[in-house]
Amino acid sequence: MKNVLQWSPPEGLQGAELTYTVQYFIYGQKKWLNKSECRNISRTCCDLSVETSDYEHQYYAKVKAIWETNCSKWAETGRFYPFLETQIGPPEVALSTDEKSISIVLTAPEKWKRNPEESSISMQQIYSNLKYNVSVYNAKSNKTWSQCVTNRTLVLSWLEPDTLYCVRVESFVPGPPRLARPSEKRCVRTRKDQTSALK
Amino acid sequence: GLRRCLLSMDIHHIEESFQEIKKTIQAKDTFQNVTILSTLETLKSIKPLDVCCVTKNLLAFYVDKVFKDHQELNPKILRKISSIANSFLYMQKALQQCQEQKQCHCREEATNATRIIHDNYSQLEVQSAAIKSLGELDVFLAWIDKNHQGTSA
Repeated sequence: MKNVLQWSPPEGLQGAELTYTVQYFIYGQKKWLNKSECRNISRTCCDLSVETSDYEHQYYAKVKAIWETNCSKWAETGRFYPFLETQIGPPEVALSTDEKSISIVLTAPEKWKRNPEESSISMQQIYSNLKYNVSVYNAKSNKTWSQCVTNRTLVLSWLEPDTLYCVRVESFVPGPPRLARPSEKRCVRTRKDQTSALK
Repeated sequence: GLRRCLLSMDIHHIEESFQEIKKTIQAKDTFQNVTILSTLETLKSIKPLDVCCVTKNLLAFYVDKVFKDHQELNPKILRKISSIANSFLYMQKALQQCQEQKQCHCREEATNATRIIHDNYSQLEVQSAAIKSLGELDVFLAWIDKNHQGTSA
């Protein structure tokens, strides 16, 4: 739920000293509100996470450019609905292995926090139908397969011993498509086959 | 509650249909300071006991009022809206069975919530009210989805 407004500089004004001012609007409320930290700024982004932290409301944002004594018209976003449109980060992935299996434990991502002291809210609490797309790569056979899971733990069985496997996991919520952000690739090697070791 | 009633309806395909026309529909809604479904105050305050009745009333609101009042020239948008309307008709049939089995009781709270929505609608000119209500379908669908976890396929 970290929501950042981004824009590109207006065309044809390269070299001009441009600054920007942002306002936002809560759908159904009465007026546009200023974002003081984004008044007369030179960067082309503005973090509106605090202003849009109530994810069940809907919002608009707009930005205008100012140069010399001129200012542009407002450029306005469409209606933004964090509950349905926010990008959901990847879960935390913990792997453990033995000869022919890998155990995967997933921890749901947390909602963006205004400050570290704020209590954590798991995205699982917000989206009770949160699911995970687990993809597994076998480095020996160069093959990848994936599966969709709802629970937090998953055991991959019947694997090849002494083989490197790499896992990537993506969180998703059934419904309108959203941008996905898979986890970092985590790799682990299954143990050597003990029976062949004893011969 | 409705949990046992809407067993076969997959809300997500309706959400996907709406997703394709949402930006166009919402861009036509120029009254940003007014809402029909009043996201938080009305829908969020609905108690589980009233979910079935409010769902039934809001489906009727869309089928009997919004879809009828809305005039659309763009064929692609029209196709999507009629697909959504058909899904709503299907859900209404499913709710009818619940009604017959007396599982869709309407308390005063549910009736009041529905009246607020109808009042919001009638405060706007018909076309504006219809386009605004269509633009808020994502709110209604998210509310149905959230209140009927475990019932859709």
